[in-house]
Amino acid sequence: MLYALEARHAPVVSLWVWYHVGGRNEVPGTTGMSHFLEHMLFKGTTKHPKGDLDRLLARYGAQWNAFTSEDVTCYFETVPKAHYKTALELESDRMRNALISIEETEAERTVIVSEREGYENDPSFLLGEELQAVAFSRHTYGQGVIGSKDEIKLMTRDGLYAHYRRFYAPNNSYVVVTGDDEPDRLIEDAAAAFAPLEPSRDLGEPPKAPEPEQHGERRVVVHRAGGTLPIVMLAFRAPRATDPRAAALSALVVALAGTSTGSDGASGRSSRLHRALVETGLATDVDASFQLMKDPYLLWADATLRPGVKHADVERVLLEELAKVATDLVGDAEFERVRRQLLAATAFNTDTITWRAYRCGQLLSTGAANSIGEWYDKLAGVTREQIRDAARDILTERARNVGWFVPENAA
Amino acid sequence: MNRIERSILSNGLRVAIVPIAGLRSTSVLLAVEAGQWFEPAGRAGIARLMAQAMLRGTKMRDATTWAGALDALGAVARLDVGQHAAVFSAQCLGTDLRELLDLMAEAIRTPALADAEIEFVRAQTLAQLEKDERDTRAVSDRAWRQLVYPDGHPFRVPPIGDASVVRTARPDEIRAHHRSAIAPDGAVLVIAGGTTARDGAAAADHAFGKWAKRTEPHETRHPLATLSTTKHRVELVPDKTQSDVIIGWPGLPRTDPRFTAARVTNMVYAADTFASRAGHVIRDQLGLAYYVFSGMGASRGQSPWIVRMGVNPQNVKRAIEVALDELRKVTVGQIADDDLALAKDKLVGELDVALESPGGVAAMVLEAEMFDLGDDHFERYPRELRAVTKDQVVDIARLFLPPERYALAVAGPPLPDILV
Repeated sequence: MLYALEARHAPVVSLWVWYHVGGRNEVPGTTGMSHFLEHMLFKGTTKHPKGDLDRLLARYGAQWNAFTSEDVTCYFETVPKAHYKTALELESDRMRNALISIEETEAERTVIVSEREGYENDPSFLLGEELQAVAFSRHTYGQGVIGSKDEIKLMTRDGLYAHYRRFYAPNNSYVVVTGDDEPDRLIEDAAAAFAPLEPSRDLGEPPKAPEPEQHGERRVVVHRAGGTLPIVMLAFRAPRATDPRAAALSALVVALAGTSTGSDGASGRSSRLHRALVETGLATDVDASFQLMKDPYLLWADATLRPGVKHADVERVLLEELAKVATDLVGDAEFERVRRQLLAATAFNTDTITWRAYRCGQLLSTGAANSIGEWYDKLAGVTREQIRDAARDILTERARNVGWFVPENAA
Repeated sequence: MNRIERSILSNGLRVAIVPIAGLRSTSVLLAVEAGQWFEPAGRAGIARLMAQAMLRGTKMRDATTWAGALDALGAVARLDVGQHAAVFSAQCLGTDLRELLDLMAEAIRTPALADAEIEFVRAQTLAQLEKDERDTRAVSDRAWRQLVYPDGHPFRVPPIGDASVVRTARPDEIRAHHRSAIAPDGAVLVIAGGTTARDGAAAADHAFGKWAKRTEPHETRHPLATLSTTKHRVELVPDKTQSDVIIGWPGLPRTDPRFTAARVTNMVYAADTFASRAGHVIRDQLGLAYYVFSGMGASRGQSPWIVRMGVNPQNVKRAIEVALDELRKVTVGQIADDDLALAKDKLVGELDVALESPGGVAAMVLEAEMFDLGDDHFERYPRELRAVTKDQVVDIARLFLPPERYALAVAGPPLPDILV
């Protein structure tokens, strides 16, 4: 599938290749495989040996990277438009021709362990990983993305290569391009690059492990010395991106925590959680998020506590605020404010060519909408009643997962 | 680069507007000479306390009302204290530019700086400082600065400041700092994105035209930072799996004519994990770290020029040795022609790619305006990057990055190796 958007304000093109493979395609014993594979796609093909791609893109001043999520693995490069065809050539080449040698697998293994160890230094990661695992009993979303350290250490080259050959193919991917040219021409060039590639004959069925309904609160407490400030994190089971409530939930998290610019930022301070927790001196920072995902996932809300504040006090206030928004309609002025923040944030993101392409790909990959315009219309059409009703459906005690990070004194 | 419309308001505020057709949003950067460089000696943290308190209500509106007005625009904004400037950065819909600038001007010119709000900011800052005590990045950064900068130097501590200063800062002191540091002379306002030159100029004048000039001179003098020997510090942070490593030197001012050559040197050596020598060897060849990069700050002083790595404690010693080996190669001219060409190509190419966002455009213009790089900077700069020679790179590396004299800070789990 190919999709192109015009963006004429800068002489660049942003090319994104999305593969329908991520943490959800893994089973215990191979967690982290999709992410490991993402690293290996930078380790060379016959035509472009290791280092070729990095240096070519660097030479163009490109902004480039890759990421793996629970649902997808994604590669992108934003390049001066004169180099668009080279970017296409690099991406089409590595779609089917990555070498994934034993030597490079071994060299990269320690890099990935290092990446994971960097995350482990962050108390929020430690708590979030535990809470995500508790929230899912069957669905592979509970495994996260980066994988366990032990399984990263056990990953085999042959396993990675089989995963690659199965999932990296034109019939399991789509390409989104945004940039300084006619969309038809952008698509024509992309088609010429990818059409000759052989499809995968081994895609199989998408993973099916529906998560059973949750019938009561689950809790997890992480005691560690690696952080000084306590954290309370809530994760509610939430619907997939195609659910009619997805747009309302996107608005709900803005009502709860704004479109955050971090704890030092001046925006989002009119949000409910900020007023209830930060302005009252209970927390240093709050956040809430709802992600567009292929399968039912989670709506998150969390607070980092001021020193000396008790977890139970913050959890109680958090739950009170969530109960209010699930019971009463947001006021007129608040609704206008939330709507404005939501729609302005859409403009901010899509005014950057790279992120316009990302947003489009995210909507397409999850089925949330067929275009940025369609999603914008969905957000613009959200009503106060829909926000309340979505909150009432989602923010229940039965579907709630609660995590506490409890700092310990160093030994 | 799009056309830049420059003007200077009667109070000295320099305004640069870059209309970008086809965009709905506008990025705004207002840089005031109120960064660490202009902080009172020995009072590290006053500038940031002041900046945070400026976002908590004005003489016309309390904190809740001001924040509500900002959110009602759907705008995002923050005020950060950097090495040189305090930078108010914001983004709004182009149609809301005038309202946004009015809100920013209110916070800048007439903040309430009320006692209760200062106490709120103090408590938040102390909490952040407590959090930083177990953050390996923050611990290594603080330790590294203490190795390099002498007492009284503004970069000796990070912008968040010293806990002792934050605890004892008096509201009067913060209000006095606002009177002396926040002024239009020396300040730069950049507007980039979905607006016109005329609308942007009118909005800027409406918001900031009556901002009073500084009444007292704004002079600063700071001790020189020099590294006469190599210095090490290892900080144990409990319950961590990875060590944060900083190797660094005091850098050179952005106004130094050698700064462009220094940027190329930085790129050749370690600026990019994938395009520079250090990352290529440490990550790609040896698999010792997930990230390796270097950065050099832009200020009127000797901003940190540092290499950062996240490394398993077992590999710390080796990663440091390799980073220094790669630096030695640069200092003796073992630089492949293609590595130098790559560094220059990357820096030039990035100028085009940065045009993709209003924020990227605004950031480039701000640097040029703040450091008086000239109206023709964007025409000259790519040529100047291309003209940097290998000899210049070697000279810069020998002078500013001597591998035999550096400051090393490591924060994280216990290390198996003795570093000294």
